[in-house]
Amino acid sequence: MFDDLDPKEFEDTARTVVEGCADLADASARAAMLGEAGLIGVSAPESVGGLALPLDFAVPVVAAAGAGLLGFPLIESMVLAKALAGVNDALAGEIAAGETVATIAWVGVAEDGVVGGAPMAAEAARVLVFRADGSAVLAPLGNGVTAEVTAPLDVDAPEARITLNGPVEGIVLSAEVVATLRADATLLRTGFVRGSAERCLSLAADYAQDRSQFGKPLSANQVIRHRLSRDRLAIETMRCGLTRALGPVPGGDAALARDTAWLSSAKAGIAVAESAIQVFGGMGFTWEVPLHRHLRQMRAQASYGAAAEGTEALGARVLAGRDNDWYGEIAHVV
Amino acid sequence: MTSQEPIGTQSPDTGAYAASARAWIRGNLTDALRTDRAHVPGASLGDKIAFEAAQHRAGLVGITWPKDYGGHGLTLREHLEANREIGLAPMPNAVNSIGKELAGPIIMAVGREDQKLDLLPKILKMDHIWCQGFSEPGAGSDLAGLRTRAERTADGWRVNGQKIWTSGASKSQMCLLLARSGTAEDRHKGLMLFAVPMDSPGIDVREIVSIDGARSFCEVFFNDVIVDEANMLGAPDEGWAAATRVLSIERATNRMYRAWRFQSEIDHLVAACRSDLRAFAILSEYKRDIAEARIAVENLKGHVETLVGDLLAGQQIGPRGSFPKLYWSEAHQRFAQVAYEIVSRLPANAGQPLADLKARMELLYFSSRAETIYAGTTEIQLDIIAKRILNLRKAG
Repeated sequence: MFDDLDPKEFEDTARTVVEGCADLADASARAAMLGEAGLIGVSAPESVGGLALPLDFAVPVVAAAGAGLLGFPLIESMVLAKALAGVNDALAGEIAAGETVATIAWVGVAEDGVVGGAPMAAEAARVLVFRADGSAVLAPLGNGVTAEVTAPLDVDAPEARITLNGPVEGIVLSAEVVATLRADATLLRTGFVRGSAERCLSLAADYAQDRSQFGKPLSANQVIRHRLSRDRLAIETMRCGLTRALGPVPGGDAALARDTAWLSSAKAGIAVAESAIQVFGGMGFTWEVPLHRHLRQMRAQASYGAAAEGTEALGARVLAGRDNDWYGEIAHVV
Repeated sequence: MTSQEPIGTQSPDTGAYAASARAWIRGNLTDALRTDRAHVPGASLGDKIAFEAAQHRAGLVGITWPKDYGGHGLTLREHLEANREIGLAPMPNAVNSIGKELAGPIIMAVGREDQKLDLLPKILKMDHIWCQGFSEPGAGSDLAGLRTRAERTADGWRVNGQKIWTSGASKSQMCLLLARSGTAEDRHKGLMLFAVPMDSPGIDVREIVSIDGARSFCEVFFNDVIVDEANMLGAPDEGWAAATRVLSIERATNRMYRAWRFQSEIDHLVAACRSDLRAFAILSEYKRDIAEARIAVENLKGHVETLVGDLLAGQQIGPRGSFPKLYWSEAHQRFAQVAYEIVSRLPANAGQPLADLKARMELLYFSSRAETIYAGTTEIQLDIIAKRILNLRKAG
């Protein structure tokens, strides 16, 4: 059905559009440009103006956003446009077209009164707030729902804290819809981190070959070569894990493939950025060299995607596992 | 994170090939053959050879080899399906993996038709166990330093030299021998490949005990060994050039079950520790490490399945075979370290399941030290990635 389309072409288009976005003043202008290019609605249904393509096509778009330090809540907009279809087609269409900027508060639930981890909420018109029962509310910002940006980690898409005064009113997404939205976001986040990490490695590999010390490029030194090779392995691991998680997982557990691809990429992406900073030496520690911005956005994504908690939870699941038939005859007391 | 369910391993939705492989293993893997039954006397070499020959007849081995050469004429897809099941089961490693995953594919690539018809079916039927005569005392990773000489005689070649780290030489019928016809100064030129019967006069095999206590490694001495012209594999140089191409694919596809075997080891660790409250308390302290190991298993599946997909799509693998080898060997070694630490803390009066686990994990810990050394060390893999994938330059 999609045989004539290649996800790679989406990455090329996205790269150009993301570069163009860097010159624009605010999130609204970037929304318009991204929406115009059809990049927000890649996986949203056609009924809301989307392209109705599988997430395989959205992943290269977010990878380009990660590589290009895009100042826009793209992952949030993409999953909201898809999740809102059938719930509120008009709003889904506005988000897909880039006419409305919406974001998601990834940390906490409405019952806490304050939620966090909402990228670019200060420039958004709406924010999705999760509820303790697994459902979520898409609330308009203003009045009882206010965004506050204090010392954001991600300087390109600064995250806000959202204060909720009283019950949150807005469009409700069921727990089932929210579960799919979260699963989609996990895959997209993995792609975003891959793009960001790839750029870090590419910057480091270029620098190592351009920078000369002791009469030879840094890249002539085996310690540098092996460091970069390990980073390249990390990126290949991300790429393969994500490819596997996106496809049908033969003989495997699709949710597990998705979770592990994300948990592993979150950790590895940060490590690749840290490694690139080391290769750049003193320059790596400057604000000017963009590696810290990659590190910041990947750290922010790790927090939105609850990577540390997720790894703990995965450990608990593995320790609870008891259904490999080959060891079935061992009597359990736990 | 959406799923809170315990992680299962026996997936019901695998293909038909996997289902029949699973059923066969269930019916034929005896306690003596199992690697998780230290308290049961182990199977003899003869039993292991018989088990491996039976695996071939059952369709678990030789899956991708053409039917003319004794194979099943199927694709890497079925090979992958069967290897998932092989990995999940506590099955012994193959006695003849050199035959099936190294000599066989090289013979298929460079051998004459009569060689293929003669040698290949014998590998699958286990009439010929093969060993790999590549490494030498002065040529480990750097095969260009090879010194074993092959000199022309009236009706063939006279071979003199010494091989080392030759796994399984003392139980092999055939050796895949790499020798040079020129001088050591020729480096990569003049390299010759031979299929040498191990009962040839002048071959002397001495076992080396490895750090896991096994007696698989050998030194093999060639003293005026006469090798028939007909046993040459490919033309001089040509044979080795083709063999290196085969090796790069083999590095990516050999022992394809590794991710699933790794998973099975984690499953065994968890199941056995759940048999004892004290053991489970110790295991629980390593929750994060176990999570990392399980993540590594899924990542390794990603590496392997992606490469299989690319090969099925007709793509070249080239140096990318280094990725799964490097990833698996290091992640598996880390897990072995954690598992060793856990079993080293088990109470002395722990029951049979934990005693069996302890024996397996102790062996795993020592045997896993080899994984970052054989088939190209970690350092060699990192060099390959730096040079051939990242194309990092060395000079200004």
